[in-house]
Amino acid sequence: MIKIENLHASIDGKEILKGLNLEVKAGEIHAIMGPNGAGKSTLASVLAGREDYEVTAGSVDFDGTDLLELSTEDRAREGLFLAFQYPVEIPGVSNINFLRTALNEIRAYKGEDQISAKDFMAMVREKSAIVELDSKLASRAVNEGFSGGEKKRNEIFQMAMLEPKLAVLDETDSGLDIDALRIVANGVNTLKSDKNATIVITHYQRLLDYIVPDFVHVLYDGRIVMTGTKDLALELEEKGYDWIKDSIDA
Amino acid sequence: MENSNKLSQFTSRFATTEIDALLPMADMARTFLAENDFPTSRVERFKYTRLTKLANAQFDANNALAVADFRKHHICSDAIAIYIVNGIVHFPESNLPAGLTIDMLSSAKSLPTSSIKDVFAGMNILYAQSGVCIHVAKNTVLDSVIEIIHVCTGSYAGFTRHHISIGEHAQAKVVLTYVSEATNDCFSHVHTSIEVGKQAHVNVEKVQLESSEMFSFTDEEIWQDASSVFQINTLTLDGSLVRNDLHIQVQGEHAETHLNGMYMLNGQQHVANYSTVDHQVANCESHELYKGIMDDKSVAVFNGKVFVRKDAQKTNAYQSNANVLISDDASVNSKPELEIYADDVKCSHGSTTGQLDDDAIFYLRARGLSEKSAKQLMLTAFMSDVLDKITIPEVKAKVFKTINKRFNWELEL
Repeated sequence: MIKIENLHASIDGKEILKGLNLEVKAGEIHAIMGPNGAGKSTLASVLAGREDYEVTAGSVDFDGTDLLELSTEDRAREGLFLAFQYPVEIPGVSNINFLRTALNEIRAYKGEDQISAKDFMAMVREKSAIVELDSKLASRAVNEGFSGGEKKRNEIFQMAMLEPKLAVLDETDSGLDIDALRIVANGVNTLKSDKNATIVITHYQRLLDYIVPDFVHVLYDGRIVMTGTKDLALELEEKGYDWIKDSIDA
Repeated sequence: MENSNKLSQFTSRFATTEIDALLPMADMARTFLAENDFPTSRVERFKYTRLTKLANAQFDANNALAVADFRKHHICSDAIAIYIVNGIVHFPESNLPAGLTIDMLSSAKSLPTSSIKDVFAGMNILYAQSGVCIHVAKNTVLDSVIEIIHVCTGSYAGFTRHHISIGEHAQAKVVLTYVSEATNDCFSHVHTSIEVGKQAHVNVEKVQLESSEMFSFTDEEIWQDASSVFQINTLTLDGSLVRNDLHIQVQGEHAETHLNGMYMLNGQQHVANYSTVDHQVANCESHELYKGIMDDKSVAVFNGKVFVRKDAQKTNAYQSNANVLISDDASVNSKPELEIYADDVKCSHGSTTGQLDDDAIFYLRARGLSEKSAKQLMLTAFMSDVLDKITIPEVKAKVFKTINKRFNWELEL
């Protein structure tokens, strides 16, 4: 699905990713954990194509396509989805309108027909139910006046609507109470199939109780320094990150 | 004096008006023009608007091109259409609905006395050659829209003047359309006065679509009587130098006033919107909302003044101007002003100018929208509250069509 090799990226001249390698196959869930400042959100931003970051070396192969050559929108159209750590409020732009535009632009990119208004609304009803998002929220302005939990549920709702091949969830658990966390995780699990894959970026193990990863990676100082199973997450939860820092820095 | 030469040079090409009803004001105008020159940027009302190009432009009032098919320029298909083509008036003389009369300005017996706030207002009084008088009799509810279409061509320069009176309990919708064709430095100044009777409802859609060689000045003077409702939407979509002066005197209690404006500019356009709402009596409300989107090197000026006189207790007056700059070289000069002499009123004003939120654009693009679509969605959202004020669907459609063509967009109604 995605193969990241020797990825180096910097912002304002400061190198954040320093040779990151990661391969995710279809049907897999990978968790990326790490201390603050390790480069977790940078990885998400670089994959989504945020222009503030400069990729200085390395490659990202996304299902046979050179991801780094694509614009942000073409990455989305190829099936990459980023659930934002801080979803942006866009006053006046309706969630539904923008999603229909997004869906239709993705369809046009793939040479498919536009979705009919009726099919679209049926899809909205079905997908908003997955994350228990009130259909009134779905038709309001994008994230405007949403609570923290509603914003994150809206991210997963959008993910359900766009049916990506690879979803990157950037700290989706931050700011969520346990009920919202369960709803969001349930959404992600419902959408999981053997044709798509998920990268869950998180600081805490808590989310991984609900979204069970096949692999857990530790990101530290711009590189993946350790890879294990879900047990590694439990170990990190118990011991913290210092023992990893110490062993790497030594 | 070198200064006064500029104005007298400019006015030398115009013949003095022969419209009887303007003669009582002519002396006042003549004196004003003798004492004043083209305003420089030192004059507050013209601080941001340079008039040198206008003063030096080569107009030829007698050399306008003939326009064979001017009738294609109307916006509303079923409107009672009045065409002013290079100052020459054409209007339907028969089949007018009951209660509506349209006459040449020259046949007017009297006209309300205008204030002369600058040389342009003065020149209009002294040099207006044509225009119409429209009267809607009391209790008349007009189903048809009245559309006055101003067409300028070639190097025309001239002054036009209309007077509209709406009787008690009457209702009317007026569209003021401004277009141009094959222009080569063209100047037009149109003064429109509207008397809104007791409990009358008047809606004006002003659509400015003139070319980038056009100096377009418009000036509206409104008098509102008790319990009347007046709304004007000033929609500026083209033109080189456009200046709108709107002066509303609220003279009857429980009147309601709505002034909305939108301007979407590019190239080197300069658009100035000056407005005054003068609350003279108690228990009235006014709402002003102007929004602009500026691209390239365009310049917008907003100057909105609200007076609340000593007797105008319980006035509610709200004023807002918001702008989005979509290029680094565009600029806005925004000055909302309140002058309040009564002590029991609710008034507010505000002005914002900003750019599109890059994070929001990135967010939309990360969902698969092109950058262009993302920006269009956000700009449409920004404009939507003003666009929603447009009451005539054909006007709204024309606005969208014009914007799409000029900005190469695909906005949907």
